[in-house]
Amino acid sequence: MPTSRTAPRRILLGVVGAAAAVALTACGGVKTTSSGGGDGEYPTGNIEFSVGASAGGSTDLITRALAQGIGKELGVSTPVLNKPGANGALNAKELQSAKPDGYKIAVQNASLFTITPLTVSPAEATKIDSFDVITGISRDDYVMATSAQSGYKSIDDLKKAGKTIRYGTTGVGTGAQLASALTFKTAGIESTAVPFDGGAPNLTALLGNQVDVSTMQIGEAIENIKGGKLVPLAVFSKERIPFLPDVKTAKEQGYDVQVTQYRFLTAPKGTPENVKAKLLDAAKKTFATTEYKKFNEENSLTPMEVSPQEVLTSLQNDSATFKAQLDKYGINLAG
Amino acid sequence: MSDPTQPPGAAPEQAGLDLQEETERLQAELEEARPPHAGPISQIAAAVVALAVGVFGAVGSYALGLGRLTQPGPGLWPFAISVVIIVLSAVLVVTGRGLQDTERFSRSSLLTAAGLVTLVGLAALLPVIGFEIPSLLLMFIWLRWLGKESWRSSIVISIGAVAAFYVLFVLLLQIPLPRLI
Amino acid sequence: MDISPILDGFGVVLEPTNLLYCLIGVIIGMLIGVLPGLGPGATIAILLPITYGIGPVSAIIMLAGIFYGAQYGGTITSVLLRLPGEASSVVTVFDGFALAKQGKAGTALGIAAIGSFIGGTVSIIGLTLVAPVVAGFALDFGPPEYAALGILGVLLISSIGNGNKLKAIIAACVGLLIATVGRDTFTGAERFTFGSLNLAEGIDFIPIAMGLFGLSEILYNLEERHNQVHAPAKVGNVWPSRKDLGQASGAIGRGSLIGFVLGVLPGGGAVLSSLAAYALEKRRAKQPERFGKGAVEGVAAPETANNAAATSSFIPLLTLGIPANATMALMFGALLIQGIQPGPQLVTEHPDVFWGVINSMYIGNILLLIMSIPMVGVFVRILRVRPAIMAPITVLITLLGAYTVRNQVYDIFLVIAFGVLGYLMKKFGFEPGPLVLAFVLGSMIESSARQGLLIFGGDPTGFVTRPISGTIFALILAVAAWPLIRKALPRKTSVERVEEKIK
Repeated sequence: MPTSRTAPRRILLGVVGAAAAVALTACGGVKTTSSGGGDGEYPTGNIEFSVGASAGGSTDLITRALAQGIGKELGVSTPVLNKPGANGALNAKELQSAKPDGYKIAVQNASLFTITPLTVSPAEATKIDSFDVITGISRDDYVMATSAQSGYKSIDDLKKAGKTIRYGTTGVGTGAQLASALTFKTAGIESTAVPFDGGAPNLTALLGNQVDVSTMQIGEAIENIKGGKLVPLAVFSKERIPFLPDVKTAKEQGYDVQVTQYRFLTAPKGTPENVKAKLLDAAKKTFATTEYKKFNEENSLTPMEVSPQEVLTSLQNDSATFKAQLDKYGINLAG
Repeated sequence: MSDPTQPPGAAPEQAGLDLQEETERLQAELEEARPPHAGPISQIAAAVVALAVGVFGAVGSYALGLGRLTQPGPGLWPFAISVVIIVLSAVLVVTGRGLQDTERFSRSSLLTAAGLVTLVGLAALLPVIGFEIPSLLLMFIWLRWLGKESWRSSIVISIGAVAAFYVLFVLLLQIPLPRLI
Repeated sequence: MDISPILDGFGVVLEPTNLLYCLIGVIIGMLIGVLPGLGPGATIAILLPITYGIGPVSAIIMLAGIFYGAQYGGTITSVLLRLPGEASSVVTVFDGFALAKQGKAGTALGIAAIGSFIGGTVSIIGLTLVAPVVAGFALDFGPPEYAALGILGVLLISSIGNGNKLKAIIAACVGLLIATVGRDTFTGAERFTFGSLNLAEGIDFIPIAMGLFGLSEILYNLEERHNQVHAPAKVGNVWPSRKDLGQASGAIGRGSLIGFVLGVLPGGGAVLSSLAAYALEKRRAKQPERFGKGAVEGVAAPETANNAAATSSFIPLLTLGIPANATMALMFGALLIQGIQPGPQLVTEHPDVFWGVINSMYIGNILLLIMSIPMVGVFVRILRVRPAIMAPITVLITLLGAYTVRNQVYDIFLVIAFGVLGYLMKKFGFEPGPLVLAFVLGSMIESSARQGLLIFGGDPTGFVTRPISGTIFALILAVAAWPLIRKALPRKTSVERVEEKIK
């Protein structure tokens, strides 16, 4: 039956033609979940939060908590997209070339701008100039800890031990590594860094006494510290941390090492002022909710809800300090 | 020849020999369904490709710096693996001639090539025009021309499947796929 | 031992959602075990991105269900069509198909189902008792031990696989090499990235698994290779007679033990244990010549053992964070997607995941037993679903699924590239399995070895002087030298066979 053979073909051509027409008229109209950019007052559509880390990590959790709050405040949907890769550099590169209309924003972490550039090629280093900072969010401090059996109680005990200290870190080019390396150099302690791939293996190695001490984020260590399996030796913040009030800072123990991780909300460079103001307002209202405060508490995060200018200043200071200290002591993070 | 007092762990190892032969025989029979094997040239070609991978890895990792065994550089481990690949592939080039486990490419391999083109097409079009139309086209081409289904069932199944995907991915799982609707 | 977390684990499993995912998992598992083409590895790889949207416990319960469900399903095709769905069901074909030809296909399937249930359950009880103990001393496993175990795993999977051993080892080495792509975690040096930011963090496991297991299988099957369609044998009564059960009971008991023990070994325990269990039964039998001609034990032993092994292979994953085979590597990936790091801390930090998964297997095995005996007929009918319809649907799930993991089209291209690689590997007689497992273990081997060196202060002898790692290295030497030893031994059995033929 020739007719029935050609008829479907004609139908198919029609379908393809119609499809092409739809595609053409809808050119640029492909959506994922964000469909903002209308004429009305910002925001008219979804605001997409991208995360430069995989789901489940601190940056991801913070983004999700914040996105939920901001979405509620502005009455729009705020999908979170994970785009992990190269410590967030991949996501940063994508964000900086996005349209600066406030429909694509991201929580980014300080180490990407202060520590990563010290370990990677200049081409891969991300610059904060490519972004507008909207607000600071919170601080995630580092603690150096040892297992309960080791008998060490402070950095000085390590010095007295008189042997090469093997310390675990959460990886090369992380704040954990920088803080430990600086501490051991300034204290004149012989040491070897053993980098692990992230917090969990680092913690496991410390609990199994495979390394003498480890530096990690407080949230990763706090349960084992409270359970008595780990003994904290020092924190690397400016002042003591409310979650571990009895732990002395490195500075208190006589070693001028201050390394913290903090996160802030960014948008592509050139985002209109009124959009930024709206976002800042929504973020501030989110920070004030008890739900968000409880989230910070549970994850051992210290609020750092400061102005963009303060974020930029502390980024610049940190970069300069770290670089100077590394040069002074001849430390090469890339070991 | 069976000895019940023997510890159970020891038995399988001894019996492993004839069992292996039986398994190989079975596998050989199953192989009958496969197209004819492709002969020594393809065996050598495969081994040479593996060899090339090894050489590439060795050169690349040597350039990264090997360091010393006690203080390995970034290139030491990949270099060691590459050397193993080179050695084994060289052995394969020499001894693998007689193996019969390669398959000849036939006319039906063109189907695979056509399928591949649709996959690349989908990947290329996805960010431009969303997932619906490319998926529809891919389903249809696979059903009608690669799978030789009838016109009617091809159309019905492809539309049905894409609609189901839309419901599953977009509505139920709320996965942010690029899309038109 | 404190059993309250175990009971809590049952609480987790009995939540309606988790029960539902368990059921979905075992049904999908049985289906793909029955359908020709996709194996459980491919299916789990394809479904990985979808697990993103559901909770970690539900996700892993479902994937585990697919895994052991497929062990059941694979039996059906082995017996009825003489096509082993899974490598671990290959030996089942000998006696299973022989039974089917004698009109006793139902008996074979029934015995296999009962054996699988018992093997699985025995193994779960073992898992329940052993896993927390292993997790307890897992902290003694430092970097040197991990390096040793990783090497052992790669070696075992390359020497156990079906095809040519040399090719398997080459494939494994290529997997190790691919694992080095990206930034070196010790020096920050970029290896084989060609300046691409996408490669800076290395190649993700998911696109590799989806490409090499999932897509390559589909591309390969596009060539219409199963031209000769076997008509499935008729299934009679699936309830085995008391006599058959009595005959099989010993085989089931021994198969459970062998499966449990061998499944723990890194490198593909299910295949090895089904072979070992079959061989043991044949050795012990008073009339070994019955084997291959429809001996019930010949079905019971391997099917029991492969299920027991499938279950016990969770032990190294849940306690040490080491995947024992390629499918466990996928489970590993699934947990990582959910932000859960499998390892010694799992039982204390995520007891819900740990016990939830283990306890779900009790339920899953019961579900399977309930489904497989009365529903064999349904699954036989599914054998007739046309692959032409399944193929494009699976392709779409694969490609769109790959996109959703990181929301990047780059990943789709990666899946396609590895799909083509897998297809070509199959065409040229290379197994993709060793490559995938070696890829997963690769970075662990390298970084553990280098961490070990740092801990020993640069002295490599530390690897062999520590008791645990020293033992594992001795085992590695034994495995590596085994083919040579075997050659040196007189080939008694083949001589015997020749003599038999002469008679």
